[in-house]
Amino acid sequence: MTQMTRMGDGGGMDVRRRGPGSDDPLDHDDPLLQAIEALADAPPERNLWPGIEERTVRRPDARRSFTFTLPQLAMAATLLVAVSAGVSWLAMRPAPAIPETAIRAVAEPTEALRADVQRATFADAAYDAAVADLERVLREGRNTLDPQTVMVLERNLAAIDEAIRQSRAALDADPANTYLNSHLADARRRKLELLRQAALLSSAGTL
Amino acid sequence: MTVDDVVLAANGDAAAFERVYHAHVPRVHSLARRMAGPEAAEDLTQDVFVRAWQKLGTFRGESSFGTWLHRLAVNVIVERFRALGVARNRFLPDAEPVLEVLPAPPRSRPDLGMDLQAAMDRLPPGARTIFVLHDVEGYRHEEIATMLGVSAGTSKSQLHRARQTLRQTLNADRPQMSRR
Repeated sequence: MTQMTRMGDGGGMDVRRRGPGSDDPLDHDDPLLQAIEALADAPPERNLWPGIEERTVRRPDARRSFTFTLPQLAMAATLLVAVSAGVSWLAMRPAPAIPETAIRAVAEPTEALRADVQRATFADAAYDAAVADLERVLREGRNTLDPQTVMVLERNLAAIDEAIRQSRAALDADPANTYLNSHLADARRRKLELLRQAALLSSAGTL
Repeated sequence: MTVDDVVLAANGDAAAFERVYHAHVPRVHSLARRMAGPEAAEDLTQDVFVRAWQKLGTFRGESSFGTWLHRLAVNVIVERFRALGVARNRFLPDAEPVLEVLPAPPRSRPDLGMDLQAAMDRLPPGARTIFVLHDVEGYRHEEIATMLGVSAGTSKSQLHRARQTLRQTLNADRPQMSRR
């Protein structure tokens, strides 16, 4: 039996196949199969919504708790490794062949760069401005970086941005969660570090 | 209900969540009814929707919402079995005649699906769960074994016994439906 069932997704069909599992099917003329096909879904005899409402939307402390599933934790760990590896790779990669003046600029950022980039305090406005400034510096110097560096940077920035987005979404539901707050702060710090590394590399390339 | 209702509900919209509930409650309740029996079905259905409310933020849209909710419902029901300790030790004993554990239901029921439902209600919980997961919901033995914490062999043997039991009951009730 390969009956598909409507699951109420606004016209979408459930992809789960109903009927015997494919590893142990029933013969098509088996009366048991006919009985299974005759099973119909039915709502409960009484409306259960009031009880559910009481336990969910009406409870002041029923804010959704955020929990990480095992795959999510695995993905977070993978992201952390990838980001750390990316930052390390950027820090440890052989220095580009650049003039001596440029090397001095990397060790001690130019006044122009220093003046351009605001100090981040993790207050949203200051942080966002610092990130925007670094992104601008990176954008302007992007052509001086080799394509592999750009690729690694973009992948890592995307990973960090996703981690920040997920943390913010989770905090919307659970603002007091200390783990989520530290996770968000850590992701923001990593983004800033990565952008600083990249800005220094690109400014070194343009000097 | 629309897909937007799921998004709205995930953002705390109570009216949208109520629409989600009404759209999916027949399926969830029927699953709970089949797996756990009529006494526990309403309670489990409520638990499923409470869990769904708590977990809506984790729904990523990688499958249909119905599929996501179905899997969540199965997990909630199986967790209840584990908490009550009924999953492992309430199977059909391999050595006993099946009709000793499954009295024949009344013969007057007009509906084949209702006959099967009544017969399933008389199966021991473990065997009933395996039959519903495999033969009604389409899970494979390996998946069932993982969910219930039993071996795939146990899943196969219990399914075989449950099928035998149910066929005998259905045949006793409806002799004209005997296999040709």
